[in-house]
Amino acid sequence: MSFAETLALVWRKDMRIELRSKDTLVTLVLFALVMTMVFTFGFANDPQTNLRVFPSVLWANVLFCGTLGVGRTFAREARDGAFTALILSPAHRGAILAAKALVNLFLTAFVTALTTPILAVMLRVDLSDVVGLISAQLFLGAAGFALVGTPLAVMAVNARFAEVLLPMVVFPLVAPVLIAGVTGTASILGTIPEQDPRPWFQLMIGFDLVYLVGGQFLFDRMVTE
Amino acid sequence: MNLRLALIALCTIGVIAGHWLAFDFAPIEARMGVIQKIFYFHVPSAMACYAGFIACCVGSLAYLWSRKGRWDALALAGAELGLIFGLIVLVTGPLWARPAWGVWWKWEPRLTSMALLVLMFAAYWVLHTFGGAGEGVRRFAAALAVFATPNIYFVHVAVEKWKGMHPELEDKAGSGLSPDMRIAFFVSMAALMLLFALLFEQRYRMHLHARLVGALRRRIHRLGGDV
Repeated sequence: MSFAETLALVWRKDMRIELRSKDTLVTLVLFALVMTMVFTFGFANDPQTNLRVFPSVLWANVLFCGTLGVGRTFAREARDGAFTALILSPAHRGAILAAKALVNLFLTAFVTALTTPILAVMLRVDLSDVVGLISAQLFLGAAGFALVGTPLAVMAVNARFAEVLLPMVVFPLVAPVLIAGVTGTASILGTIPEQDPRPWFQLMIGFDLVYLVGGQFLFDRMVTE
Repeated sequence: MNLRLALIALCTIGVIAGHWLAFDFAPIEARMGVIQKIFYFHVPSAMACYAGFIACCVGSLAYLWSRKGRWDALALAGAELGLIFGLIVLVTGPLWARPAWGVWWKWEPRLTSMALLVLMFAAYWVLHTFGGAGEGVRRFAAALAVFATPNIYFVHVAVEKWKGMHPELEDKAGSGLSPDMRIAFFVSMAALMLLFALLFEQRYRMHLHARLVGALRRRIHRLGGDV
């Protein structure tokens, strides 16, 4: 079976299960809404402050939702030896990883796309002129998250304390994406002196590429039967 | 054995000499004053910290490919020592920064990348120590150590745009240091690197022995014995 076929099969399987049960999706959306509420409660309705805090709040949302979603990557395979079966199958492991990363990217991007407008409305930040740029940025950020988080999510299958350890491991690793995201969004919104978001885009793309290659390179070695 | 004892003696003399050179022999820096003395321990500790993390990364790569337990022991020893020296760096740094910069901490490239580096290898260490004894956990930790390395580059680039203000020793090609300072610095550096190497070797052998003891214990248990 070719790389693409395996990828498509695993992706279809996961998406079908997800779209039928909707458990991760619904949980993530609700969690993101609660986060949005908590964040917006905390700030006074002063437009200048809101504009200032918006990038941080936005990316904190991506971070928390991403971590929650990534932690559930192999949740369905954890029981009944399904993970072992998946790994022992002659399928290309890189393809399995890529399919899982795509599912994670879809989940994070979907939840972010849903909550970002709500966040903007609640904090009264006008995004209408910069929708394209912000969307591209969030997409790259979500991709970085999926590319780092998915290979690491294997840990949830075979380590103790995985639910505590995973965020501890993922947070420092996605720090460059978060820095690029927060600062890049701030530069798009014009709240910091540097108005050019391009270097931040380049940084995110570079990061995504390195972790795409690194994940493919290492995943085969890091899983055990 | 004799060589090790000789090296330990040399290291002891070196550390004491380093302190004497740093505090008594080297002149007091004109601009920063006494506080500059931290530099003689801060920079060598940072070097030892990097050495430990590089050892961890190399050991992890070798472990992922060869699956031999000794590489994993090597990586773990490297991470442990890197963490210890990293903590020294993160404590002495703010002690220096407070009088020199007026603040304890700045989100500056080197500080941020160092802090995240230490955090990542702390995660590696916690995972290795508390994650369970299975091979899966070890391999996962090894992959994490390998992932952490390119990340440092990205962290550095990301924060660089907020303008660095960390003193650069290399840029001035040593001209920032008077000859007396340079002697003190190199003696401190040599002594701490030797200390690192000695501790590293001890830790590495300890992990190897611990593994051997664990394996023997399991074998005795299988044979019906009681340990």
